Amino acid sequence: MEIFIQALVNGILIGGVYAAYSAGFSLIFGVMDVINLAHGELLMLGAFTSYWMFTLSHVDPYFSIPVAGVLLFIFGYLIQKFLINRVIEKPAIMSYILTFGLHLIITNCAVKFWTHDFRTITTSYSGANFNLFGITIPLTRFTTFILAFLIIGFLFYLLEKTDLGRAIKATSQNKKVAQLLGVDVKKIYALTFAIGAAITGIAGASISPFVVLFPEMGLNYTIIAFCVVVLGGMGYIPGALIGGIILGVIQALTVTYLNAGISVAITFILLYILLIFKPTGILGKGN
Amino acid sequence: MRKILIALFLSMSILAAQLPAKEFKVGCAVALTGKFGKAGSLVKDAYTYWAEKVNSNGGIEVNGKRYKVKLIFYDDKSDPSTGAKMIDRLINRDRVDLLLGGFGSSQVFAESAVAEKYGYPLISGAASSNKLFERGFKFYFSTLGKATEEVKGCVYAFASLKNKPKTAAIVGADILFTSLACEGFKKYCKKTGIKVVHYELFPMRLQDYNSLLMKVKAKNPDVLFVGSHLLVAMRVIKALKEINFSPKGVAFSYGPTVPKFIQDLKQDAEYVVAASEWTPNLPYKGKVFGSAKNFANGYYKKYGRMPDYVEAASAGGAVALQMAVEALGITPKVSDKDRAKIAKWLHEHEINTFYGKIKFDKDGANIAHPALAVQIQNGKIKTVYPENVKDADLIYPFKPWKER
Repeated sequence: MEIFIQALVNGILIGGVYAAYSAGFSLIFGVMDVINLAHGELLMLGAFTSYWMFTLSHVDPYFSIPVAGVLLFIFGYLIQKFLINRVIEKPAIMSYILTFGLHLIITNCAVKFWTHDFRTITTSYSGANFNLFGITIPLTRFTTFILAFLIIGFLFYLLEKTDLGRAIKATSQNKKVAQLLGVDVKKIYALTFAIGAAITGIAGASISPFVVLFPEMGLNYTIIAFCVVVLGGMGYIPGALIGGIILGVIQALTVTYLNAGISVAITFILLYILLIFKPTGILGKGN
Repeated sequence: MRKILIALFLSMSILAAQLPAKEFKVGCAVALTGKFGKAGSLVKDAYTYWAEKVNSNGGIEVNGKRYKVKLIFYDDKSDPSTGAKMIDRLINRDRVDLLLGGFGSSQVFAESAVAEKYGYPLISGAASSNKLFERGFKFYFSTLGKATEEVKGCVYAFASLKNKPKTAAIVGADILFTSLACEGFKKYCKKTGIKVVHYELFPMRLQDYNSLLMKVKAKNPDVLFVGSHLLVAMRVIKALKEINFSPKGVAFSYGPTVPKFIQDLKQDAEYVVAASEWTPNLPYKGKVFGSAKNFANGYYKKYGRMPDYVEAASAGGAVALQMAVEALGITPKVSDKDRAKIAKWLHEHEINTFYGKIKFDKDGANIAHPALAVQIQNGKIKTVYPENVKDADLIYPFKPWKER
């Protein structure tokens, strides 16, 4: 029983981590219909921001979270404004090609500047954990889990309660009408992408204390974000949390009770089944 | 004046065209990007260091004349089929004289098959899966031992203790080299009477190391053996600490000897044991680099870091190739016949190098080399096994995480 609960907790925590970095992916897809294949690279850049601040100036990874957010916001804004906006009217395949190209360019630039080294941040609290009723909970993962709630809560608030959010939602529902009502669609796109990139960068910085970083780490994260977002419903932001936790728990239980070897396969089988039977996600709220 | 210059130029170019090639073109396909990009670039560094050393002395000396070495590298992108294509290109387009091996068993497996087809000897210093040696190849050589044998030192380091561990868990990444390392761990655990209470392979893509190791923790093994590359080794250490799992001993097949392991994991890297085939303080000596220490010092000067054993094994392979060429008096352009002679020579001779004795078995594996175990003590890599070359005692049991 203890093992079961421990596996469940592990799964929920890793699910929170998945959710934290998938929310931005969901946002960008929901508003712009762009599947951002360079998503993992945004995460990688966020994580490296924290790594370099830690290595070069001994800044605690948690203090570099806002810095990563701001840098990635700017980066995302520029990418959208100057690159993705050019293909947004074109068929979807163009945005795949463009973002895949971005994935290659960012990864290879990172390799050029930072080499292939595997890196990790070891702080005084690295690996710290606390015990709750006999269940071990790693501190840094727990923090990211909380952060996932904050990120998703923030996005939810932004979209539902602010003027900017309403403009974003209007644009995602009907671009032409939004334009007629005076919304600057291209600017909304750029802002949405920037926000998506910023929260992904924040997630990247927050996972940096407990993962191993390398320039090519991104693609794996993009794949998982895709699975999470399909599970939770494409474009439905709280879905990222649900999808993330479901995926995390299933993986943890598979590793614990069956075999680590098939935990990855199960992820994809799940994705496959869902895409066939319920393409709008488990809650049916995606598009 | 102008006429004279033109005449001079023309005669010089005719002369140049008639001269035999002055250098050995040596090709290598190795991972420079992809999941083995980092490790592969170490191999590239090792060969580059060798070539520079040789060229700084004027080149490879054959019958009193010296011929420089020119290296050509292609990136196999950590992908076996790309590697095979690159070797084909090196042989058929660049028409290289000789080849050197790349990094990683899967890649070298494919690359050596092409080399074998064209009769090019290929010495690798960074691939050791048993499968490589089971193909009846005549042109494939490895300065490393077989993967299953490489980890022998790790198990014996623990097994030869007075308070030796009784149980062990073995986990590893499910790719060629690391899964073989796991088999080796199992084989030698059985031989030394250590009971294996858990054995599991996992995919490289695995995200949740915590759940996997939590399962192992529940079985409470004395020692944890991990079939690993650097990335896996780092992830395992991070996970062990997160879930507060402190086995009395932890050993990896590969990873901790790469400098980044200690640099980034800092105090968390302490006590970790790893398999090794070479360290700079071994009493080995040979031509080209002199002693093991000399090799390491020169390496440090050039790259600002100490070489790990894969780098030494790669450079050792290059030296072996050079020895064969010198002994046989082969000059560029190297012909197919020459290459066959080189392969024969390599099979028949025992070569002394800074990397230790190299003696290739019929299947191409290096059988003259003992498997070592090293341990990280106070941020330094110390040899702890075998007895006759060790420079520190194995610290066992490790201090639990909470007491460090």
